[in-house]
Amino acid sequence: MSVMSNVVLEVRDLTTKYVTRFREEVYAVDHVSLQVEEGKSLGIAGESGCGKSTLALSLMGYYFPPLHYTCGEIIIDGRDISAMRPDDVRKSILGTEIAYIPQSAMNALNPTQKVIHFVEDVFQAHDPFKSKKEIHEFAKEAFETLGLPEEVLQKYPVELSGGMKQRTVIAVSVLLCPKVLIADEPSSALDVTTQKMVIKMLKGLMENGFIKSMIFITHELPLLYNVTDDIMVMYAGQIVEKATAREAVFDPLHPYAKGLMGSIIVPESGLRDVKLAAIPGVPPNLKDPPVGCRFAERCKYVRAECKVAAVPLYDAGGGRAYRCILSEEVLREAYQHAG
Amino acid sequence: MKGYRKYFLNKLGWFAVTFVCAFILNFILPRLMPGDPVAAIVARMAQGMSNARGVQAIYEQYTELFGTNKPMLQQFFIYVNNVFHGDFGFSFSQYPRTVADVLASSIWWTVGLQLPAILVGWLIGNFLGALAAYLKKGFDKVLMPASIFASSLPAFGMAVILLVVFGVTLEWLPTSGGYGYDLIPNFSWEFVWSVIVHYQMPFWSIVLITIGGQAIGMRSMAIYELNADYVKYSRFMGIKDRKIVRYVFRNAMLPQITGLALSIGTMVFGAIVAEIIFSYPGLGSTILTAVLGQDYPLISATMLIITLMVLITTFIIEILYGFIDPRIKAAQAED
Repeated sequence: MSVMSNVVLEVRDLTTKYVTRFREEVYAVDHVSLQVEEGKSLGIAGESGCGKSTLALSLMGYYFPPLHYTCGEIIIDGRDISAMRPDDVRKSILGTEIAYIPQSAMNALNPTQKVIHFVEDVFQAHDPFKSKKEIHEFAKEAFETLGLPEEVLQKYPVELSGGMKQRTVIAVSVLLCPKVLIADEPSSALDVTTQKMVIKMLKGLMENGFIKSMIFITHELPLLYNVTDDIMVMYAGQIVEKATAREAVFDPLHPYAKGLMGSIIVPESGLRDVKLAAIPGVPPNLKDPPVGCRFAERCKYVRAECKVAAVPLYDAGGGRAYRCILSEEVLREAYQHAG
Repeated sequence: MKGYRKYFLNKLGWFAVTFVCAFILNFILPRLMPGDPVAAIVARMAQGMSNARGVQAIYEQYTELFGTNKPMLQQFFIYVNNVFHGDFGFSFSQYPRTVADVLASSIWWTVGLQLPAILVGWLIGNFLGALAAYLKKGFDKVLMPASIFASSLPAFGMAVILLVVFGVTLEWLPTSGGYGYDLIPNFSWEFVWSVIVHYQMPFWSIVLITIGGQAIGMRSMAIYELNADYVKYSRFMGIKDRKIVRYVFRNAMLPQITGLALSIGTMVFGAIVAEIIFSYPGLGSTILTAVLGQDYPLISATMLIITLMVLITTFIIEILYGFIDPRIKAAQAED
């Protein structure tokens, strides 16, 4: 498919589960495979509860209850981190190879610690011999490059505004120049103007050489279209659609992806006249997922065969894939008729 | 910084108002008790006296001495004036001892018993609570019920259990007093040892109850903090668990400090039960005799000590918090 040399992150059949207090197992990430190349960004979309945040956590290769690793590989630069000991992952992978921006970055910083002290802790967790002076100089320079005032370092999180806190978290996340950055809804809790700043900052990270690739998770598809190169749509723990950003937004194949596009207000030309449509129903309970297609219950185009056996991910060529038993032609025609 | 100073001046003003109110109540409330303290003293003095005029003379002499024959308002101003000159007057029930003398001989017993007991109980309780939150599973399942049991046991219950087990049944420890009744306070080994032995039961009865309450509080705070977003983020930045645990317990500890300050402030109240049960010669026993003997000046003075201790510890904590928790400092400066 693509040249292996510039693939930064490759995930094969990654499966992780939550174990509840009552020993029930919930497979929130079910055989997910993906690839991110150097200089590229991948967006992951889906409604809440579809497993996209869990996928973000699972990609870190560092699991703590209730999340457990089941199977699959996470390969960064040729190293399979899913086979490594947790302490080695912590020391040599987290923050340096792969970094994470949490969903609620508002509370991601310890409230009783100055930003600079957290930065010191981050550096020293990976290199105990680095002097404080070096760390301070490095942090100052990095913050400056990222457009953050250096005073932020001397402040407590409460003294920063929401947007500033978010940008600080992003800056701290990329301080060790990770190869992959995973941003889980980094802009969802912000107002539109701050959102724009945060997005601009994220886009600039690759140009500034802080990161080599990015995975961006959100429920806002139009945002992904503007930020990422490729988009993956998740439903009930599985990938249902994989395409370039343009294809995923303007020419989705899977009925769920199609529905998702239809339910969003997009001020893009070409989408302006599309009527808003909600997808009826709720996602299946993953404690006991349906045998056949997981979207069958809510699908407009459902057929009897859909509910018989698990649906594989069909390769549609050119890096595209979708999880539906209907052929591309049948789907496109059905969408045409629906208007 | 300006807002910060204004906040404290404002707080100080409120503390002053509270102090004045408490001072007035401390004076009035004991005097609202029914009964005449002087009559009780006279009855004691005049035992066997049949001369009614003589008894009357003694009565008048005491009312004159204590000032109870004057109107309440006048008594109050005399009292205020005396207190500001450091004179708390005579103790009614232990006349001719002065209130200052009674307090001086009992307060150190209470402080010596309570302060270490509260600190030890607080430290152990917080440590166990934090450990339970961190280890979970078996340790938590044993510690939690034990803590709930210990903290919901009334103070006298714990004291009586210890008394029966170690004092009466096992006869390991003496059952009452601050030192052996046949000893005179001095710095001999014998006396010091006697004090140590007598110290154990009241001390542990307070420590055990404090441990229970603190452990429960610390456990839930620590569980809350362990699930905070910054813990997850720090983990994903590769920070060692040992360091994260330090963040968590520092933050979980903050509310517990208020609890510590309050128990130090209300130390004297906490002492009453343990001291009475073990006949410990501290302020608690003093309060009991003062109330029973309607000893107005002694009651007012002990209440004044409690009021001051609560106000001072709260104020110190208020200042201290500004330094240890930036969130509270920010809130204080905004006020």
